[in-house]
Amino acid sequence: MAVASVPHGGVHVEQPDQLYNEIRDLRLQGFLLALISDCVLFSSFVFAYLYLRNSGQGWPPPGIPRLDVPFAAWNSVLLFGSGATMHYALENHKHNNFMKYMLFLIATIILGAGFLGGQGYEYTHLIVSEHITWSGSGIFGASFFTLTGMHGFHVFVGVIFLTVLLMQSAAGVYTREKFFGITAGTLYWHFVDVIWVLLFSIFYLI
Amino acid sequence: MATHAPVAHPGGIAGHIHQEPQGFVRRYVFSIDHKIIGIQYLITGFVFFILAGLLAETIRTQLLNANGGFVSPETYNEVYSIHGSAMVWLVVIPILTGGFGNLVFPLQIGARDVAFPWLNLLSFWIFPVAGLMLFSSFLMGAPTAGWTEYPPVSLQGAAGTSMWAAAIFLVGVSSTLTGINFVVTLLKMRAPGMTFTRMPLFCWAQFATAPLLMIATTALAAALAALFIERQFGVPFFDPTKGGSAVLWQHMFWFYSHPAVYIMILPAFGIISEVLPTFARKPIFGYKLIAFSSMAIALAGFMVWAHHMFTSGLAPYLQLPFMILTFAIGVPTGIKIFSWTATLWGGKIHLTTAMLFAIGFIALFTCGGITGIFLAAVPYDLDVHGTYFVVAHFHYVLVGGSMMGVFAGMYYWFPKMSGRLLNETLGKIHFWLFFIGFNGTFLPMHWLGVEGMPRWVASYDPQFEFWNRFASISSYVMALGMLVFFYNVISSARFGKRSGPNPWNGRTLEWMIPSPPHYYNFKNIPTVYGLPYDFSHPLPYKGLEDELNDSPPAAAGAH
Repeated sequence: MAVASVPHGGVHVEQPDQLYNEIRDLRLQGFLLALISDCVLFSSFVFAYLYLRNSGQGWPPPGIPRLDVPFAAWNSVLLFGSGATMHYALENHKHNNFMKYMLFLIATIILGAGFLGGQGYEYTHLIVSEHITWSGSGIFGASFFTLTGMHGFHVFVGVIFLTVLLMQSAAGVYTREKFFGITAGTLYWHFVDVIWVLLFSIFYLI
Repeated sequence: MATHAPVAHPGGIAGHIHQEPQGFVRRYVFSIDHKIIGIQYLITGFVFFILAGLLAETIRTQLLNANGGFVSPETYNEVYSIHGSAMVWLVVIPILTGGFGNLVFPLQIGARDVAFPWLNLLSFWIFPVAGLMLFSSFLMGAPTAGWTEYPPVSLQGAAGTSMWAAAIFLVGVSSTLTGINFVVTLLKMRAPGMTFTRMPLFCWAQFATAPLLMIATTALAAALAALFIERQFGVPFFDPTKGGSAVLWQHMFWFYSHPAVYIMILPAFGIISEVLPTFARKPIFGYKLIAFSSMAIALAGFMVWAHHMFTSGLAPYLQLPFMILTFAIGVPTGIKIFSWTATLWGGKIHLTTAMLFAIGFIALFTCGGITGIFLAAVPYDLDVHGTYFVVAHFHYVLVGGSMMGVFAGMYYWFPKMSGRLLNETLGKIHFWLFFIGFNGTFLPMHWLGVEGMPRWVASYDPQFEFWNRFASISSYVMALGMLVFFYNVISSARFGKRSGPNPWNGRTLEWMIPSPPHYYNFKNIPTVYGLPYDFSHPLPYKGLEDELNDSPPAAAGAH
């Protein structure tokens, strides 16, 4: 909102940077809490998946082929790699290496988009060749496509988020002191990464 | 959100000042002021309360006679489903958290607003939209499986069930945003010296509720999303014929909805903890016990959901721990009851209407709590599950508890909202009509339930007719009490006696500033030295000296 910008007689005027820091802390906390409640959303579906999986008909259910684990593993490497590049992007921004920051950010976006492409390929393969669908393949289709789809949607949002950050950075919105957006983007991207560790383990490994 | 311009703001973020908006719409309709948003929540919540209350009277009218006849059995199913859903999600939760939470706790911690005012505006406006969606489901075949909407019945219902799921999902989004907002506000925006152990107990109650709003509600959102997806796209989660599990819904639903029970009662606990010491003129007994027991209840609330499912085929080795944990939650609740009673003991009790409702709350909530302990015992639950005993129990908790708390809060804080007092005589008439009507309605349900009258029936065995008729007539007395209340609120808002800043000699921060407060709440952010409840000591605040003279707040000249 608009902030009254006229200092008033007798009222102590604080340094703008201090206010920025306080507002950043506030927003960071709010953003973290939003991510926590997002975690709960995923946890609920993970719980539902594990519950259905253990409801007694064996896993995978009859008629469902094994998932292509090596392909998914290579695809996951893209996502985990993007977590690393995002980390270095933030570090470089903190240390004022603008070019390196931009390069790492671009790399993150490309890797994230690559992961989405891989997921698209996997979905197409499952639907077209294996005839596994969201609604027609029992609880496997329901839980697999809902959970990985939800995660894919989060990655998609993240790619857009980072692209906006990239354009803002190019326009010089962020400075060495003020980069809340980049911190939030990094947090979000790591969050998406961590969720994928969980999903990958429960769908492909166990 | 605030921009980064240089700004006059004593006390950092706790004191940052934004401009007061001009014009009726910006000030009162799309307001970002937490006090206005709180009042908006209260008004909207009470409008939905009237609608849901009319549905309740429809239920009671239907049950006047053993063979029903007022509405068709199908309509009856729709009526009780929407009554329950609306009372839980559109009345009790929004009024207690959105309404009183927004209105009171930023004042009590000495903040100028909540942490994210625009987010607050958004969470409010989602709420009436969702409410209209919920009621509009009547037009397309409302849900018929009660407020819990167990599959497979809810999977077979008309299109209104999907609308119901979407509406509750939206209310959930609104609650989650409010929860986030409250947590950040309470962590970051307290006035200097307002440590956690000096916070008024209403703030503690909101602080315990906010994570529940944030976490539990999201879990419900998952369940609702799954139900919606299953109904609209045929994706099997809950349909046993396609490999899903109907019990899964119960797990997902109750993992939210049990903590939601505490969302509905903890803020009421907070209100009672404010009203009792003020009108007993005594420090609250066991401040820390009350504060920490709220946190204990909030935490333990997540571990007891399966006590709603004792008859759903839960393995016996799971029933025992859930039974014991449920018993255990009675301990912190009991601590509160004892602390409140001890606060009253030896106090100079002023029997204002707010105090009457607070004492009524203790009596009725204790009854509801005791039947809760009955129901927590697996063998007893197996016996009375799905009978009117359960209906009696949760109405004693939710109406005798939460709604009595809401009324106590209304009489207590109405001066802060409007600058005027509610009429005490009308208030006492409201109290007695409501209290007597309430007990007449729900007390007989205990024995109806024990004798075996099932819930969700549009007609029943004639042997239950006398007590049902008694309950129905009593429910009209309750409704009469509500009419008195609404008349009182509307007429007093206009013509009521002017209250001045502190009509009750309260000691928390909201009473130290004019009624209604200025846009910025505080001219200068006060410093806090101690607990607000020590009535024999001087006030523990510094920096409030010129709050009550009527010149505009210090930085208001800026616009």
